[in-house]
Amino acid sequence: MSRLTRSFGFAARSLRRQPARASVGILGIAAVGALLLDMLLLSRGLVVSFHDLLDSIGFDVRVVAGDLGPIGGPRLADASGIARELAALPEIAEAVPIRMAEGETPAPGGVGFSLMGIDVQARRPWTLVSGSDRLESPGRSVAPGGSAAVPSVLVNRRLATALRVSPGDQIRVRATCSAEQSAMPPVPFLVAGVADFPFDTESQLSAVALRAAVRSACGTGTDDTADMVLIASREGFGADSAVSAIRRRRPDLHPATNDEIVARMQQQGFSYFRQISTVLSTITMLFGFMLIAVLLTVSVNQRLAEIAALRALGFSQARIALDILSQSALLVGAGGILALPLGVALSVWLDAILKKMPGIPMTLHFFVFEPRALVWHAGLLAVTASLAAAYPMWLVTRLSIASTLRNEVVS
Amino acid sequence: MTTLLAANQLTRTFTMPAGPVHALRNVSLEIAPADYLAIRGPSGCGKSTLLHLLGCVDTPTSGELSFEGRAVEALPDAERSEIRLRRIGFVFQRFFLLPMLTARENIEVPLAEAGATRAERRTRTSELLDYVGLSHRADHRPSQLSGGEAQRVAVARALANRPRLLLADEPTGELDRATGEQIAALLDRVHADGTAVVVVTHDPEIGGRAARTLMMRDGRIEDGRA
Repeated sequence: MSRLTRSFGFAARSLRRQPARASVGILGIAAVGALLLDMLLLSRGLVVSFHDLLDSIGFDVRVVAGDLGPIGGPRLADASGIARELAALPEIAEAVPIRMAEGETPAPGGVGFSLMGIDVQARRPWTLVSGSDRLESPGRSVAPGGSAAVPSVLVNRRLATALRVSPGDQIRVRATCSAEQSAMPPVPFLVAGVADFPFDTESQLSAVALRAAVRSACGTGTDDTADMVLIASREGFGADSAVSAIRRRRPDLHPATNDEIVARMQQQGFSYFRQISTVLSTITMLFGFMLIAVLLTVSVNQRLAEIAALRALGFSQARIALDILSQSALLVGAGGILALPLGVALSVWLDAILKKMPGIPMTLHFFVFEPRALVWHAGLLAVTASLAAAYPMWLVTRLSIASTLRNEVVS
Repeated sequence: MTTLLAANQLTRTFTMPAGPVHALRNVSLEIAPADYLAIRGPSGCGKSTLLHLLGCVDTPTSGELSFEGRAVEALPDAERSEIRLRRIGFVFQRFFLLPMLTARENIEVPLAEAGATRAERRTRTSELLDYVGLSHRADHRPSQLSGGEAQRVAVARALANRPRLLLADEPTGELDRATGEQIAALLDRVHADGTAVVVVTHDPEIGGRAARTLMMRDGRIEDGRA
């Protein structure tokens, strides 16, 4: 039997001897460990989730006209030409311009929604729920039962519910492509299908049509602008090669890979979560440290005579110190294991609360489980256990056997 | 006579806020492998301090101490612990059995620490429980044992690794006379079976059973007789 095994066996018996104290320690560490796990999940959760979200739509590069990004920045002029030029590059499989607009059904009871125009090709940045996602422009054939002159539109579930429409129904939409533009009369759209759009927030109403259809509805038929061109790199090349190719071909454009976009977000808005997570992790570890340090110190002080006797029987300083460390490891280990389900349950609850913030896409999560979080969790708890055991270990190693035995008899 | 343990001019001074306390002054003695020594004297005369020095649980302020011919006063903790574990057995006035362990498990503690296998521990523990007459109490915890039984378990624990020297500090101090007699008889038997025994006691009757008695006063050996 190894010294370590003996130490753990001894420590386990010592802890069982004081079940109330051991329970307090384990439950305390479970609570602290749950918070620590959540902070670890939070520290990278948004980044991981945002990256997953960007990747989920099947495009790994985004091209915009300026540094500000697609929202609020300048638009890409001659978007169709740009898309053709970029799609011709060997590194690029697909280039899809998109144009953001606003839509509204006519009063009374008008419903406003986000309307996205897209030059859809093979990849569909949405998940079809019902109907068809074959989008048609004005004047072409549409889904069965539709009119050839009516462009088709995909609506999200909330918009379908709000408008009480299903695939095959027709809606009238008043579209606005810019704030300066005067209101246009509503035009008919055929609801081709219902889909989930990954960037939708919980309350968002949204629809997608072909960019030409949106442009036509806005009354800007010759305006070939786009807010962004989504790029799918060709297999075997990758996003970085695609970006390099775009920069060589069109230095006036601003391409960015999903990684770069996430890194930019990480430096800006997401860094707050990391900072909060770091501060709260440190505080929770401090609480865990104090809890275990106090419990072990009290326990050691109560057992000084017993420890002195063990030393007299031949237990070395190192062996006694190992016992204390083992006790700390058992308390923190048991608490840490309990912390996992507790932390996961807590993260689900906290995630649901945070996701109620306005403007958060439904598919985005603040707390995302990663195996590395488990490794960090175990590592940080191990550090806590070691630090918490340091003082009581120091106490027992400097214990004078003779004085302690003498004091015990005198007392 | 071969010497098991030799103390030469041992002095132990404790530094106290009120000034140094000279617990032991220039004590010299030798203990043979089959010795049976009682150390007696009034409270505070330095008996326990001497026992602690002989048992390598304390370090002399000055003087030399050798165990089996090896100077031990300057050895590092690990080596002194090894000597205590394998060569010296300790019996305390207050037993100091581990309350969460049974009698058998308490006896197994030094065996396990010395690296004995499970089978070796089982065999040796059974032998010792039989030796101290407590086979029927093997699975009882200290709280379920009488004082005499607990001290017999403590003696068995002290003998676990077949030490050459058994040190007992007031082993009957917490026991009534009849029970104390049983423990004294047990120590006699340990000695008769070949282990050197040094016992610190107030009790002249216990002291009288030893082959030699050292009388101490004010940190000095007052009288030594065979």
